[in-house]
Amino acid sequence: MKKRAISIAALTLLILLLIPTLAFAQAKPGAGMYFRLITHGGNDPFWAVFQKGMIDAAAELGCRADIDLAGSDQNLQAKRLQEAVAMRPDGISLCINDDKMWDKPVADAIAKGINVVGTNNDDTQGSAGNARLAYIGQNERRAGLMIGRAVFEAAKVKGVNLATMKVACAVEVAGANYGVVRASGIMDAMAEYGIPGKPEIVDCTIDMTTAEQRITSYIIAHPDVKAMFGLGGICTDRLTSGMKNAGKKAGDILGGGFDATPGLITGLKTGYMVASIDQQQYLQGYFSVYVLYLMKKYGFAPQIDTGGFLITKDNIALIEKLSPQNIR
Amino acid sequence: MENQKLIPRLLSYKVSFTLIVFVALLVIFQIFTPGHTFFQRANLFAMARLAPDLGIVTLGVGILMICGEFDLSVVSTIPISSYVFVKLLGFGVPLWINLIVTLGVGVVIGLGNGFLVTRTRLPSFILTLGTMLFWKGLLYASSLMMPIGIRSWLPPGSWLENILVGIIGGVFPVQALWLVGFASLLAVMLHFTKFGNWIFVTGDNETAARAMGINTSAVKIMAYVGVGVLCSVVGLMQCLRIESFSPNQGVGVELKSIASAVVGGTALTGGIGSVIGIFVGTLTIQIIENGMILLGLPAFGIGTFIGAVVIMFAVLNKYISRWSSR
Repeated sequence: MKKRAISIAALTLLILLLIPTLAFAQAKPGAGMYFRLITHGGNDPFWAVFQKGMIDAAAELGCRADIDLAGSDQNLQAKRLQEAVAMRPDGISLCINDDKMWDKPVADAIAKGINVVGTNNDDTQGSAGNARLAYIGQNERRAGLMIGRAVFEAAKVKGVNLATMKVACAVEVAGANYGVVRASGIMDAMAEYGIPGKPEIVDCTIDMTTAEQRITSYIIAHPDVKAMFGLGGICTDRLTSGMKNAGKKAGDILGGGFDATPGLITGLKTGYMVASIDQQQYLQGYFSVYVLYLMKKYGFAPQIDTGGFLITKDNIALIEKLSPQNIR
Repeated sequence: MENQKLIPRLLSYKVSFTLIVFVALLVIFQIFTPGHTFFQRANLFAMARLAPDLGIVTLGVGILMICGEFDLSVVSTIPISSYVFVKLLGFGVPLWINLIVTLGVGVVIGLGNGFLVTRTRLPSFILTLGTMLFWKGLLYASSLMMPIGIRSWLPPGSWLENILVGIIGGVFPVQALWLVGFASLLAVMLHFTKFGNWIFVTGDNETAARAMGINTSAVKIMAYVGVGVLCSVVGLMQCLRIESFSPNQGVGVELKSIASAVVGGTALTGGIGSVIGIFVGTLTIQIIENGMILLGLPAFGIGTFIGAVVIMFAVLNKYISRWSSR
């Protein structure tokens, strides 16, 4: 009887000792919070990295976070936003990929007490055009300017006559906001380097073979083109093959682009590509969760530019190492 | 007697029309492209290297259409085959075993589609839309949508690469030979064998075909398996050419292949078509894209021209059918 009482007392003591420890272990700062990330993205590598950033941040903070991928269907994205607002989460991160359609839904959500931040895509007027409380993403125009500068500087060093230089841009989704703004940034760089005219836009679609076919045909039809940019990951990936198919040698056309893909790595190693801009979308997913958490807790509302990392042949080892982990 | 029927079969009115348009386009593009670049070596090289991607898939899809069915899941079979190939490379599986397993992916998906369509007797357009989403979902979940380069495991110049995407004498892409080879093989099968005849009869009138003792389900299942294997070959070719698996491989090929087959005179209702037509149809669609860019036409208008051509051929095929049946 006495032995049993001692056992019970020891067990009780052990439980009492463990409870605060367990409670401490579980008490992560974001416990109990729920955030929703609503994007126009699709099932592609870009958004897998974005999602990884979100998952990692949520795990660190101990909060819950979910992502919606609307597959470029804006109506579906709008529906997902309505559903999210109805769920009354602690914050929403939204891709603001249209200057008009998100104005009222975002204002309404904020009026209901839900924090809404922009990510990946922003209103072209920034906070003046949309009521979102913060923005986490690449400044697309600045990114275009940076890649333009990198490629035109290489052309200058190579002795290309900039006054007569012809520039082209291959884009996956013709007329999409990302391509238009990035091309504007490239035009800014053209102006800086005294390159006349505008870049010619080549509509390539998101099919890799079609993109390669069209890039090849364009280069054959325009033998005077001296610099070519892929405005998105698919075109950037196919640019090197397109140049090779058209019979160009490394350096005949200076290539630049956006995002990191196997085709880009080959292009950088073989000298067909000068550089590419990594918009570091892992940080967009990661900081979306952190900003919403800090906004809920302390009211912080930062503007975070995640872009501007220039991938060149000097740093591709880093990209090659982190890419399989869905971080770059 | 049989030989007298072969010629109209091989060169029906619809195929003749597609051939005339095809030749006319070649001439027009050569004359009007600035610098006459259409027949330049670099352009022909690029066409020979890239056109087989769509061409080989269209051969399978076109024959399936003659059989009276559709397959939208081709858009999933291509990247899944590529993914399986790359994963097996990573596991160090010998190349020849890897090749067999990768082609087996097409067989499995084809068998699945074939059984589903023949057992349920529901429209294949809907069923294969379902299997397309199903396989794509599985692929995305397993691959996490990330591209995987092959060069860590497969150095350049492997025998498989030379056989599937090599360049003969540094000037001629071997993919073009595969396209011609598959087209020849399938032409013989479709137009010169009993099985080919069963395909036409099954697509034309399935009830009558069954009454004649043809196992129409088996014919359709075989046609689906054929499409699956051809898609696996294309997935493999693309993977070796772009040196990676990409979840975006094959995007849009499901509808483009149907459009190419229609341009080649294949009836959407089944029972009518030819391998020559399918072959010329897929080349026609692709030279239009190529020629438009070489002509320097507005970059955003290419789809408009292709769409107009598909509609034109669909309408003309209808009227030619009416006229020839009088």
